[in-house]
Amino acid sequence: MATPNTPNPNTPRAVEITVGYKALSPNQKDRLEKIEVNPAEGDAPPWDALTEYQTVGTDVDRTDGMQKATGRAKYAYDISFPDLQQAMILRAPIARGILKSLYLDEARAMPGISAVVALKKDGSKIRLVGDAVAAVSGKTLDMVRDAIEKIRADYEAEQHNVDYLMDEEAPMLDANGQLDEEWDEDSKVDKALADATHTHTGTYRTEVQTHSSLETHGNTCRWDGNNLEVWASTQATFGVQGELARGLGAHNVKVESVDVHAEFVGGGFGSKFSAGIEGLACALLAHAAKLPVKLMLDRHEEHTAAGNRPSALMQVRGGIDKNGKITAWDWRSFGGCGYNGRGGAVRYPNYYMGDAATRRKHKDIACDTDPARSMRAPGYPQGWFGAEMFLDELAAKASMDPLAFRLKNDSEAMRLDQWQFAADKFGWDKARAKKNDANARYVTGVGCASARWGQLGRHGGRRQSYGVTCRIHPDGMVEARNGSQDIGTGLKTVLQILTAEELGIPASRVRGVTGHTSDPLGPASGGSTTTPSIAPAVRHAAFLAKNKLIALVAAHLGVPEGDVTCANDKVGTKNAKLDFTEACKLVGQTPIEVHGERYPNYRDKPFHPGVCGAQFAEVRVDTWTGEVQVTRMFGIQDCGLVIAKKLAESQVIGAMIQGVSYAVHEQRIMDQRSGRMLNGDFLRYKITGSKDLPDIECHMHSVANGHNNTGAAGLGEPPSTATAAAIGNAVFHAIGAPVRHIPITPEKVLAAIASK
Amino acid sequence: MKPFSYVVPKSLDEAKAAAAQPNTLIKGAGLDIVDRMKERLQTPATIVNLLPLKDELKGITVEADGGIRIGALTTLTEIENHEALQGAQFEGLVGAARTTGTPQVRNRGTIAGNILQFTRCWYVRSEAFHCLHGGRGPTCLAMTGQNRYHAVMGWSDCVRVHPSNLAPPLLTLDAEYTTVIGKETRRRKFAELFPEEPRAENPEHTLDDGEIVTAIHIPQQSKNARCTYAESREKQSFDWATTACAIRIVMAGGKITEASMVLGAVAPVPMPRPQAAAMLIGKEPSTKLFRRVAEKAFQGAAPLAHNAFKLPIGKAVVRDALEQATR
Repeated sequence: MATPNTPNPNTPRAVEITVGYKALSPNQKDRLEKIEVNPAEGDAPPWDALTEYQTVGTDVDRTDGMQKATGRAKYAYDISFPDLQQAMILRAPIARGILKSLYLDEARAMPGISAVVALKKDGSKIRLVGDAVAAVSGKTLDMVRDAIEKIRADYEAEQHNVDYLMDEEAPMLDANGQLDEEWDEDSKVDKALADATHTHTGTYRTEVQTHSSLETHGNTCRWDGNNLEVWASTQATFGVQGELARGLGAHNVKVESVDVHAEFVGGGFGSKFSAGIEGLACALLAHAAKLPVKLMLDRHEEHTAAGNRPSALMQVRGGIDKNGKITAWDWRSFGGCGYNGRGGAVRYPNYYMGDAATRRKHKDIACDTDPARSMRAPGYPQGWFGAEMFLDELAAKASMDPLAFRLKNDSEAMRLDQWQFAADKFGWDKARAKKNDANARYVTGVGCASARWGQLGRHGGRRQSYGVTCRIHPDGMVEARNGSQDIGTGLKTVLQILTAEELGIPASRVRGVTGHTSDPLGPASGGSTTTPSIAPAVRHAAFLAKNKLIALVAAHLGVPEGDVTCANDKVGTKNAKLDFTEACKLVGQTPIEVHGERYPNYRDKPFHPGVCGAQFAEVRVDTWTGEVQVTRMFGIQDCGLVIAKKLAESQVIGAMIQGVSYAVHEQRIMDQRSGRMLNGDFLRYKITGSKDLPDIECHMHSVANGHNNTGAAGLGEPPSTATAAAIGNAVFHAIGAPVRHIPITPEKVLAAIASK
Repeated sequence: MKPFSYVVPKSLDEAKAAAAQPNTLIKGAGLDIVDRMKERLQTPATIVNLLPLKDELKGITVEADGGIRIGALTTLTEIENHEALQGAQFEGLVGAARTTGTPQVRNRGTIAGNILQFTRCWYVRSEAFHCLHGGRGPTCLAMTGQNRYHAVMGWSDCVRVHPSNLAPPLLTLDAEYTTVIGKETRRRKFAELFPEEPRAENPEHTLDDGEIVTAIHIPQQSKNARCTYAESREKQSFDWATTACAIRIVMAGGKITEASMVLGAVAPVPMPRPQAAAMLIGKEPSTKLFRRVAEKAFQGAAPLAHNAFKLPIGKAVVRDALEQATR
């Protein structure tokens, strides 16, 4: 149990709350404990593990689902104006070199062209095939394309390399793809390995995965004097606002003169934090053309110049004692990065290592390709694949069941409950015990892996805390607004549900509005921070609005405010109650409008500092052709308080689908000679399709962490850490040999079977 | 996309006249042409849309001689579902149709479009590369570049593979095709649709400019005949085969009396393997036999730098098709 802090003089009232969670199944125990917390003065009182919810955690539909399904949702791509200009970027055809000269005049003179801007100066470096050189806007995309063909750009090409493993800094691999270099001495690790009952060494690899958001990067920009309005496909409305203001400083643009809208965003997965060169180009073209301009990347540009999850090469050696406890863990990894040589860092699940002697080394290696951008749990899916698969191989050496091995080594108490619950649901024991017929063409196998992430939300940016506007309208409609974007993860629905819960009204009467920088500040949607950061402010805003409504009703009824409650769609006292919509008529012509604040998290230690999960996978392998079909998956995942159950499940299932794709299908294929990506489309860049999908089930594990008035934790990243690892382990179980390199394509499966 | 004229013919004669003009493309469903035009890989002056001629060019009929006529514009979904094609004799054709693309593609895509598909080679299909195909450059870039999805046999100067999955079963069924051009109507064996020596400068097929495929004909099949199709791929939804095999056999008294075999996705044309098929004649089906036949089917295959996997997988696919045919 956490120790209560010394009471803060500003918040004299310490509150005792119950944190933890109720038993996941009848054969498990409640994990509840009481802690004292110190909410900021004026904040809404904390919800906890004993709170009974009406709307939170129920199956409320995604609030904008119908708009999206019927095409009424307007994305940046859909924004249009009379005289809207279309735009494209001229991209470098060489992977490395210098832009010697750029001639734009002929392009400017082409029919229908409204603006041409250079994005690089003569003498600038070219760093990848697809580096942006110039941009053109015009009446139609075809006119723009004609003009682009008239731009003369001269380059001085230098020798390039688009395969990090060919770099001189890269380690050597043997014929089996295993890292073939001596380990540096380390007295502690070396001793632990020497003393271990079983040891094992393995090299694991992952390939570049592109974000593949359905909506590509891009913007529509419109100027009015020095004011710029931008409709952006972004996961950082406020970031784009600041970035464009800085980038356009020469045009006398200030932050407050840029308005960014991102009401609907077709996915980002970590690739859309920056306005990007395409954002700046769009604004510059619109400025020069004096007309609104739209510039969206095409699919090939999206694949080749809008970021990716970098590849990784990992080698682990480790050992266990006679009880199956990990005693040594030696890790070295290499990130296969783009031209800037950054972003390839790899993490591994350190909660298994206990008191083991550990060492960790990492090196990023650059090559002349598009740089890495954060992608759904940066560095985790790579490292989890390597580490969790290594664990299964190590367990096999000790003839231990992989689940039993994890139960012995996992130090996170919450996940121990999850392992057992999920293993029962999945039917692990039976599935694991099943033997494949030695001559069978099709073999099956099961595997598991853990999930982890830690994000309990932030209270604000450097200068300002996050906030939410809540309005109660006289017609009984309630509005909750925040300027952050909903990139498909469900922020609008979160605003809606939390507000409805606090006011005790049906969710259908609340509208969540997101994606306009004119609304209160919110975070970039990265690191699973959006919901945990904003949720407490939503509650606070609804709480303040509720109190204002209660005051009106109390005055109307002539009773003390303390006697009035707002619940079950009614406002009033025990004896005199108004329907909520009736009560709202007391508001008069001007709606109640309040600003909810995001206070810092309580300083007390939360029940759990992050979130946990576990996933199980079953595969069927065709031993003739090497094809892997993932047939079944089960995942359990906590995200603190589960606010919107359907959307939370959708996040977890979506991450598992993306993980299936990562494990068996996706890889960027480069042409070394030209430096160009060969499969920059959705046919040859293979993404899991509906027929490739397993039956997926997930269980949302709602946990009261007691870290603020709501207790939401981040959910975007955690479920994506485990999937590829669980599938890799299932394939290992099925064919009896590890495929240590994803995607697990048919030829790798056949090679593994042949090596047995 | 460059501007072009769009001809919507009211009759086959109108279509023929329009198709005879220079720089003209004939379009069925148009599933692939639009992509290529958007990328400016193809910039025709005129497109002739055959779809208005559905009445003449669509549908499956059983002819007086027991053969089956499939109109050129018949969709893959219709092939999948048509009652005349439900027998074991056509299993491979129906199976190939069923694995193609997505339901949307099959609802729209036509049999003629499938067999006349443009190559999927990623060098040929990118405006950024200038390779020998179509005379755009001096060499085949795939031969020495990234050739994971390319040929392992039957190529001369270009290592593209033929992407049609319906062509192999149609070849095993000894199908024929009818075309019209000018005043002429031609009916030929299916094998003649593909160049004998596929070269980079030649298209995937042997049709003349302006020649329009109007129908495919499958001769009457004996009761004991069975046609099967198997393919390997990297994903189940919307992918092209990495290797494919169609088999047709006739069984009598527990022995194979007739056999033909055509491989797909391994060469610039669908590859008949008569010697491998001949090994089946007079034999009882067995795993051992099928292994030997599969080896024979890939005898002489020479993988490129990145597609050696096609050999073991292709052999498995041959065995798969054989097992299906004799199950």
